[in-house]
Amino acid sequence: MRQSGRDNGSTVGPHPPPEGAPALSVDNLRAYYLTHYFGVEREVRAVDDISLVVRRNEIYGLAGESSCGKTTFLKTVAAAVRPPLSVIGGSVQYAFLDRDLYALNPAKLSAIRWRRLSYITQGSMNVLNPVRRVRESFIDFAYRHMGLKRRPFFAAVNEHLQRLHLAASVLDAYPHELSGGMKQRVTIALATICRPEFIIADEPTTALDVIVQKDVLAMIREAQQQIGSSMLFVTHDMTVHANIADRLGIMYAGRLVEEAPTADIFANPKHPYTAHLVASLPRIGEQSRKESLSGAPPNLANPPSGCRFHPRCPLAMEVCREASPALTTLAPGRRVACYAASPLVKPSPTAERVAGATHRAERVGLVQ
Amino acid sequence: MAAYALYVLRRSGQFVLVVFVGINIAFFVTHATPIDPITAAIAAATRFSQADPQAVQLTREALRELYGLQGNLWQQYVVFWMRVARADFGPSLSAFPTPVSTLIWRALPWTFGLLSVATLISWGLGNLLGGLAGYYRRNVPLKLVGVVASGLQPIPNYVMAFIVLVLFGYVWPILPITGSSQINLPQGWTLAYFQSVFQHALLPVLSLVLVGTGAWFIGMRALVSNIVTEDYVAYAELGGVDRWRILISYVMRNALLTQVTGLALSLGLIFNGAVITEVVFGYPGLGNLLIRAVYAGDYSLVIGIASTSIIAVAFAALVIDLVLPLLDPRVRVA
Repeated sequence: MRQSGRDNGSTVGPHPPPEGAPALSVDNLRAYYLTHYFGVEREVRAVDDISLVVRRNEIYGLAGESSCGKTTFLKTVAAAVRPPLSVIGGSVQYAFLDRDLYALNPAKLSAIRWRRLSYITQGSMNVLNPVRRVRESFIDFAYRHMGLKRRPFFAAVNEHLQRLHLAASVLDAYPHELSGGMKQRVTIALATICRPEFIIADEPTTALDVIVQKDVLAMIREAQQQIGSSMLFVTHDMTVHANIADRLGIMYAGRLVEEAPTADIFANPKHPYTAHLVASLPRIGEQSRKESLSGAPPNLANPPSGCRFHPRCPLAMEVCREASPALTTLAPGRRVACYAASPLVKPSPTAERVAGATHRAERVGLVQ
Repeated sequence: MAAYALYVLRRSGQFVLVVFVGINIAFFVTHATPIDPITAAIAAATRFSQADPQAVQLTREALRELYGLQGNLWQQYVVFWMRVARADFGPSLSAFPTPVSTLIWRALPWTFGLLSVATLISWGLGNLLGGLAGYYRRNVPLKLVGVVASGLQPIPNYVMAFIVLVLFGYVWPILPITGSSQINLPQGWTLAYFQSVFQHALLPVLSLVLVGTGAWFIGMRALVSNIVTEDYVAYAELGGVDRWRILISYVMRNALLTQVTGLALSLGLIFNGAVITEVVFGYPGLGNLLIRAVYAGDYSLVIGIASTSIIAVAFAALVIDLVLPLLDPRVRVA
């Protein structure tokens, strides 16, 4: 039934209307790191009850400080889960799949990787095999998906590189012969060569200087528009989000606390944490000191009760300590989880889960 | 390409230097031995008869000249290098008058065969199994191989040689335990002779392989379990790259670089192990010859064998070093 919106081709453009058909629907997703060392069981709730929708042909930005669970969330929606991380509950539905991502067998999963779902990981500097030429990496990753003979395959690769303003000579280079920015571009080319419907990008520009970062962002944007795919883009850098994301989700301590179109987040942040993130951005001509948030990110093995932000929140009330606020829709496309933001926000019925519950449906995406 | 040629040149220069220093050490160490080969030879000749002291003195002079031992140490040194330059180590003192080079040429093929077969098998098998065990961490048969390998690896070569000898020569006597072939069989290109050589080589090779495989296995398993956490392996798995392709071209291929270097470094040790194994199994190789030469105070033979093995080991290390830059594109040859 989700496929019904696939022929909705009118949403092409940098800022699609918010009513575009969903490409990815995540519902109540929970993924915990379960460790068992020296007789002590620990669960780190890195992704705790996240629901969101990424629409067709949009770039959904996910922001938040380090260790808030951004990367874990990406791994979970990419089925790149391996112990000690395991998916505890929730569903991950892609429009191009007729069932939940975790209902796929390994062969099916392998068949959609790169063809329909590709992933630009954190630390893209080291994702290319140091003893293989770039050409061989393209063969390894893309050849089986393209269904072409060698010659037309490399013609397609060359054409793709050209579209992304890369010289064909990079194919004959070893990774160590490329600069950081070049490696990043090659990785992006590798992730987009099969024209996947969905691209997951995890801090693809973090290791680059701002000039190269600008070019790489433009390239990502260009590739995404050429293909017309959807993208989930994670970085802690709000300025990058301002440049690339259509919509923005703010994560704090494993939960989504606010979601809105990018411009609205920057113009009118509702959640106190978001407000702080936005206020921390420097503006030209500004003289005042930036206030830093007191306290440290919470320990996800033993998160605070109620709203996880309350120990650091300037607006914390009694109710914040007791019950976790639900991510509530205030206006179309605008969700927030803060009692102070609106009286509409009520305690979440699904957020609290009994710690150490016996039912653990461990689902592992990568077979090892 | 010019850079590689330069590298070959420099590495070859290093090879020459290593060989020169090694042979020098062999020369001075053997000349520091308290056993005097001339006295030993005369004692052997005059054991059962009275000898005229003047004749003994003349024999002593003649032998001294024949053995290249006239003059002081410095003069002997010069004579020695002039001979070595012509690949002539003089006559053997204990098997007089057979030239040292003849003895060495007779023994060398046996040692070379034993060593190369045992090293190839243990390096190849150890790396293959170790790579698989590091990649498929939960595979039970491979875990068992790991337990066995950890048990075998610390056993010294000589102990392993005796264990194998007792097991297959006495407890379950199915294989010949000494020599290189059946004694009454004529040497030649006959099937029977080759069968005999093969049978006689089994136990020495087995004892070397058991210990060697264990060591390579453990090294490779540790390497691979590190490499599988590298970003490029995780990424290839994420990209749905074929698992055998990942295992071979991503994991093993990167571990291979270290293991080839390890092979170059351990060649000397492998040779030492072979010496002991040859003695235990009475195998007619260089190791056996060397031990006999040492006991007989046979200077020239000891120096000859030492020099040959220095050249052989240094040459093998040279070949590996020359291959390594071709395996690893990151090694800059400049």
